[in-house]
Amino acid sequence: MSGTVSVEYTGVRELRGPLVIVEGVSGVGWDEFATIVLDSGERRHGLVLEVNRDLAVVQVLEGTAGMDRTGTGIAFAGTPLRIPVGSGWLGRVCNGRGEPADDGPPVLGGTDAPVAGVPINPVRREPPNEPVLTGVGAVDVLTTLVRGQKLPVFSVAGLPHLELAVQIAAQATCGGEPFAVVFAGMGLTHADAAFVRDGLAARSAARELALLVNTADDPVIERLLTPRLALTVAEHLAFTQGRHVLVVMTDMTAYSEALREVSAARGEIPARRAYPGYLYSDLASLYERCGRIKGRPGSVTVLPVLTMPAGDITHPVPDLTGYITEGQVVLSPDVHSTGTYPPVDPLASLSRLMRKGAGPGRTRADHPAVAAQLTAALARSRQVRELADLIGRPALSPTDLRFLDLDDAFRHRFLTQRTDENRSLDEALGRAWEVLLTLPRSQLGMIPADLLDAHTPPRGEEPT
Amino acid sequence: MTGSVDALDPVRAELLRTARASADAVRDRARADAAETLRAARATAEELLARARDLGTAQGVADAERERVRAVQDAWAAELVVRAEVYAELACAVREGVRRALAEGAVSQARLAEAARALLGAGARVTAAGGGGVTAEVPGRRVDLSADALADRALNRLGARAETLWAPQ
Repeated sequence: MSGTVSVEYTGVRELRGPLVIVEGVSGVGWDEFATIVLDSGERRHGLVLEVNRDLAVVQVLEGTAGMDRTGTGIAFAGTPLRIPVGSGWLGRVCNGRGEPADDGPPVLGGTDAPVAGVPINPVRREPPNEPVLTGVGAVDVLTTLVRGQKLPVFSVAGLPHLELAVQIAAQATCGGEPFAVVFAGMGLTHADAAFVRDGLAARSAARELALLVNTADDPVIERLLTPRLALTVAEHLAFTQGRHVLVVMTDMTAYSEALREVSAARGEIPARRAYPGYLYSDLASLYERCGRIKGRPGSVTVLPVLTMPAGDITHPVPDLTGYITEGQVVLSPDVHSTGTYPPVDPLASLSRLMRKGAGPGRTRADHPAVAAQLTAALARSRQVRELADLIGRPALSPTDLRFLDLDDAFRHRFLTQRTDENRSLDEALGRAWEVLLTLPRSQLGMIPADLLDAHTPPRGEEPT
Repeated sequence: MTGSVDALDPVRAELLRTARASADAVRDRARADAAETLRAARATAEELLARARDLGTAQGVADAERERVRAVQDAWAAELVVRAEVYAELACAVREGVRRALAEGAVSQARLAEAARALLGAGARVTAAGGGGVTAEVPGRRVDLSADALADRALNRLGARAETLWAPQ
């Protein structure tokens, strides 16, 4: 992508799968970006995977199909990949390496930035605050997403996590402040990629979205670039142009599997479940690019979506993600089996920064108390359900029976939402109150009396 | 005997009156029922009409919004296609311009050959490229200083300035 004249190395020793082994090179470094010029004049792109003396192994992003050992030249950029950045990305749909997939011209920018990014100096970090409202009641009320936060969605294959990711990307707002979404799809099937494109078309046409889609049949090395491209684009939109940017990255498990594949190609020693030993630091190098910076406008909020193989939350990808991120939204097959969308498990989900983004002046004065009370009531409801399994429903006290019914009320009146329904926070909180008020007032001890008075029906109509 | 016939008259009259009164009452009730049914039917019809009107309005608003969004999407897609065409035209024009400039001797072949040898070494085999410029080669390495390669590099360096093609400054 550089405009300077560079030497093309033509000593291609071998073409193996997506790899080109070229000899006679000098001064080439790991992760350096390369341009491969075919005999026909066609240009492809690649990354240096391995360098040993005068040999370099280059993974070709577009694959090596149709390439010939003779007549192929490889020019090295001298730096890792850099991409143009700026608002030219908004409204664009690109493949996982940033090339247009929407019949438009190349994405242009006034400046360029390294996709590997520069970590934010911890001293200059501003603590996250103020919410990003997603229009999904369960997320906004119970696990509020805060500007600058990294909040993953833990899911299982077969659950509607892509629907939820697209819904959040399509609906999210920041209280009228300049806002943009960067959506990075990794390892998506063509059907899923089409679903994402359709679901986000309106936002894209409104020039509020940059969409990068790496499909399942794209080269794995491209899959490693996609989230980095997305974050590089987001950082410029946020910290230079002053927007609040939500970066949705799905599926991080597909990303991690690509990392494993590339690591094996590099001959590295495998660690847990054959993922490279640096999986933790690699994931951190992505997730830690979110945040807010002192003295600069804008924020980068990250919502990674990952699927837990066989629902195993101790699998390296969710396990290591959980160490780095600030909470999680967990989707549950049990809730999904009841036909509820979004199938959020409220007791396994948590936003550790919610207190910084919810409450008076941010969302609503009653929000933190209602969320805490609802979670506590659902926990009690689950205990009562277990008790009922042991001693039978008839043996439960009238109050216990109320808690038993709360679970259904929560699912039907609060949790259930259409995939195209943009639910306001006021409506979501109203529904939360409706569910809570199925309990007697004596069981709502976490809500201050004045708030209860304001929301409780007049005496005589209250459930006893 | 006629006296006995007259004696039944009041009974007959009373029966007749009662029957008429009963018939009147039944008729009045039937009328009231009919009026009530008519009123309820009219109210229901009005309610249905209002609901249908509301649903129709909501549906119309939703359809109009969908149409508006689709129109915006189509317009944006069409604009992107045109931008791509304009950009391709610019690329062609730049290539053409560089070829012409080289043909007119803006940069001599000798100077390009010198630049190539500076990169590859004095032993490089330099060949004139079709369309202008040179390519140079030593075993294992080559340099492309052809007119088209130079033009493409210049276009890459242009970056966001190319957006002036479609965005007013």
